[in-house]
Amino acid sequence: MLSRRSALAALAAPLAAPALPRLALAQDARPAITVAVQKIANSNTLDIARENSNVGTRHFACYTEPLVDTDWIGTLKPRPGLALRWDRVDERRVEVELRPGVRFHNGDEMTAEDVAASFGPERLFGGEAGIAARVPREVRAQGRAVFPGLSVEVLGRHRLRFVTGRPDPALDKRLGHRIGIVTSRRSLEEAESWLAWARRPVGTGPYRVAEFRPDNALILEAFDEYWGGRPPLRRIRFLEVPEVAARIAGLLSGEYDFACDVPPDQIAEIERNRGFEVQGGLIANHRFITFDKTHPQLEDPRIRRALSLSIDRAAIIEGLWAGRTEVPRGMQFPFYGGMYLEDWPQPRFDLAEARALVRAAGYKGETIPYRLLNNYYTAQTPTAQVLVEGWRAAGLNVQIQMRENWSQVLEAGPGRALRDWSSTVFIADPVSNMPGVWGRNGSHPATNEWRNEDAFAAVEALETEMDQGRRRAAMRRLLTILEEEDPAYAMLHQAANFTGKRRAIRWRAAQSFLMDFRPGNWDV
Amino acid sequence: MLRFFGFRLLRAAITIVMVVSFAFVVLRLSGDPAQIIMGADAPPEAIAAFRRAWGLEEPLWLQYFHYFGAILSGDLGRSMRDGRDAIALVVERIPATLALTVPALLIKLGLGIPAGITAALHRNSFIDRAVMMLAVAGFTVPSFVLGLLLVLVFAVQLGWLPSGGQESWRHAILPIVTMGVGGAAVLARFTRSAMLEVLGQPYIRTASAKGVPWRAVVWGHALPNAAIPTVTIIGFMVGSLIAGAVVVESVFSWPGVGRLLVVAVANRDLAVVQCILLLVAATMVTANLVVDLLYGALDPRLRQRTA
Repeated sequence: MLSRRSALAALAAPLAAPALPRLALAQDARPAITVAVQKIANSNTLDIARENSNVGTRHFACYTEPLVDTDWIGTLKPRPGLALRWDRVDERRVEVELRPGVRFHNGDEMTAEDVAASFGPERLFGGEAGIAARVPREVRAQGRAVFPGLSVEVLGRHRLRFVTGRPDPALDKRLGHRIGIVTSRRSLEEAESWLAWARRPVGTGPYRVAEFRPDNALILEAFDEYWGGRPPLRRIRFLEVPEVAARIAGLLSGEYDFACDVPPDQIAEIERNRGFEVQGGLIANHRFITFDKTHPQLEDPRIRRALSLSIDRAAIIEGLWAGRTEVPRGMQFPFYGGMYLEDWPQPRFDLAEARALVRAAGYKGETIPYRLLNNYYTAQTPTAQVLVEGWRAAGLNVQIQMRENWSQVLEAGPGRALRDWSSTVFIADPVSNMPGVWGRNGSHPATNEWRNEDAFAAVEALETEMDQGRRRAAMRRLLTILEEEDPAYAMLHQAANFTGKRRAIRWRAAQSFLMDFRPGNWDV
Repeated sequence: MLRFFGFRLLRAAITIVMVVSFAFVVLRLSGDPAQIIMGADAPPEAIAAFRRAWGLEEPLWLQYFHYFGAILSGDLGRSMRDGRDAIALVVERIPATLALTVPALLIKLGLGIPAGITAALHRNSFIDRAVMMLAVAGFTVPSFVLGLLLVLVFAVQLGWLPSGGQESWRHAILPIVTMGVGGAAVLARFTRSAMLEVLGQPYIRTASAKGVPWRAVVWGHALPNAAIPTVTIIGFMVGSLIAGAVVVESVFSWPGVGRLLVVAVANRDLAVVQCILLLVAATMVTANLVVDLLYGALDPRLRQRTA
């Protein structure tokens, strides 16, 4: 029976329980920080292969690491991490030498067997028996999408060979993909369920998962045996604070050390307080408008070109982004290195040419629907209003139709013509996103909004052609189709991400949603 | 009495079936959980795999019958976000929500009823106008505005209280006050108008004319008769103890049932939404039942009519 005392205890428990771990950590002089985020994880798991989101990207690198590290704060180039070396053997094989002496959070030393399990059926691709049988289907699909036809051969305690079923020019770069994290084989085998493992993945990162309360808080504690040195923070608490006003208020009141996902229009407000600043900027993500070319008004490529030509990107960046982002040269990034087409032009703003194209296409003012989510992307709704005015000036009658979620936006039918989209890249190569968006099995062909056999062939060449010259030609061909011949999108700008923090903290934001709290990126 | 209970239980069961069916249809027709939960960037193959895993490829009517059949056998389903039992997910959030809503209810009662009585007893005076002005302000300011205002003053400017989270009892103060103030304003307005109506009745004049002390008139005659509309409102408030903190929990980052409901609806996580709706319906029905019984206790005429 519920007594008065037990009822009071039940009510008081949620208030008192979170304070208890503080006692145990009181001896450590390193700071403990709180990071206010809009969302910790959409899937309520900490396996990035299942989570697959920007919000999950923010913290997963604190506790798990891919084989090949990326210089997220600097050049965005790959660099040694858990793998000391990775050498291409031939067009289908890459051999990897692991860093010796790396420890998992459960105390085990990382060996090639752990890596093989992390890139095998046990964690990524699933199977019919044993622990592989419990890998969720969506994780298996994600694994196959990022590592198509991959198998791993153990060559020694610290040596492995990665083999793909067909030539893969980006295989070595894929080893740095965020879903290719390395976990302890023993932790996979000993977890009572896949969810139990995914709620507390055992990785090699500088912090280990101490507690995960879904939709509420993720608490990480320093892992002092980290191979990269002693972590600078005793504890990191990612706290879910859905309202941006509450995140900023908590930052200014000193309750939070970091407030994430600060909208550009709040930057000046935060920095008006001398003790605070906003860090961040460009991230490896493009924002664009995509076309459903099966819509009657968009069948003619001239209309789609006119839609792109009538976008005043400078006004959007200046007015809505405080000038803190820029217009890219097509769907590519400079950090692609040899695969970056530096001579590819930025999209133009030319209303006169847009009007001429509209006239030439014989457009009579029919409605072009634009399905819009309410600020799913930063400044999405005001951006849409600017776009519609620009299109109106070009003679295009675009009407905004508000939608609540993605499935409503993507629903096939006569109401689908224009919509927003963004694409993030995770490795320094166009295969990071081009096949997934524009390839034969990509997201846009899958919804039947846009298909182009020549583009599919160009994507195929990007994925399998080993000669860089021919790959560059394939990339040029693909961008020509996507932006000129049979436009699939109108590029808006590169995305940016902003984090408010106390000015006294010397910490640099990554060019990603990822937050780096490793040794070397923290001082007070 | 048995018939009285039987009728209300039947009515409650029909209500719950309708709520569950309506929620199923609305949630399933207005969004694909696979697309929403897997995220906009998920590969089409992963989204298709998710649909297969959760039976979302079946016709809607078949999904409905499977779902309803499972409910009748006591299985309320699993969350599509992480595969956990929906009922366990909801139940573990209840203490956090009650930690806000119960003290807030006490504030509503402790502030609202005395304020309403005081205003009625000093009708058209400065006190009445002051109380009603505050009540209208408390009633009309949305809770998310009031919440942010309190954060701005007590957390950012004064630094006395935390702005959000669930770390200690101090974190609960602002959300409790936010909910309590709005509810107290509602109760004050209802109590005042009920009291004014009763104070104008002939039996009050008769009691006063007979020389009964005013205090005894108010406590013995006016208050019990004015209690019925107030008890109705309190019944609604008690009924919303479980899911009545949706906005406040979001503003103050309080991980209760309200936050869970917002996230579950946004993700079309049907089993979790249905669990919360069932719980809310059960709380409402129970509160209404208690209110019905209280009516009888407060007014013997109603008891006789029921009999």
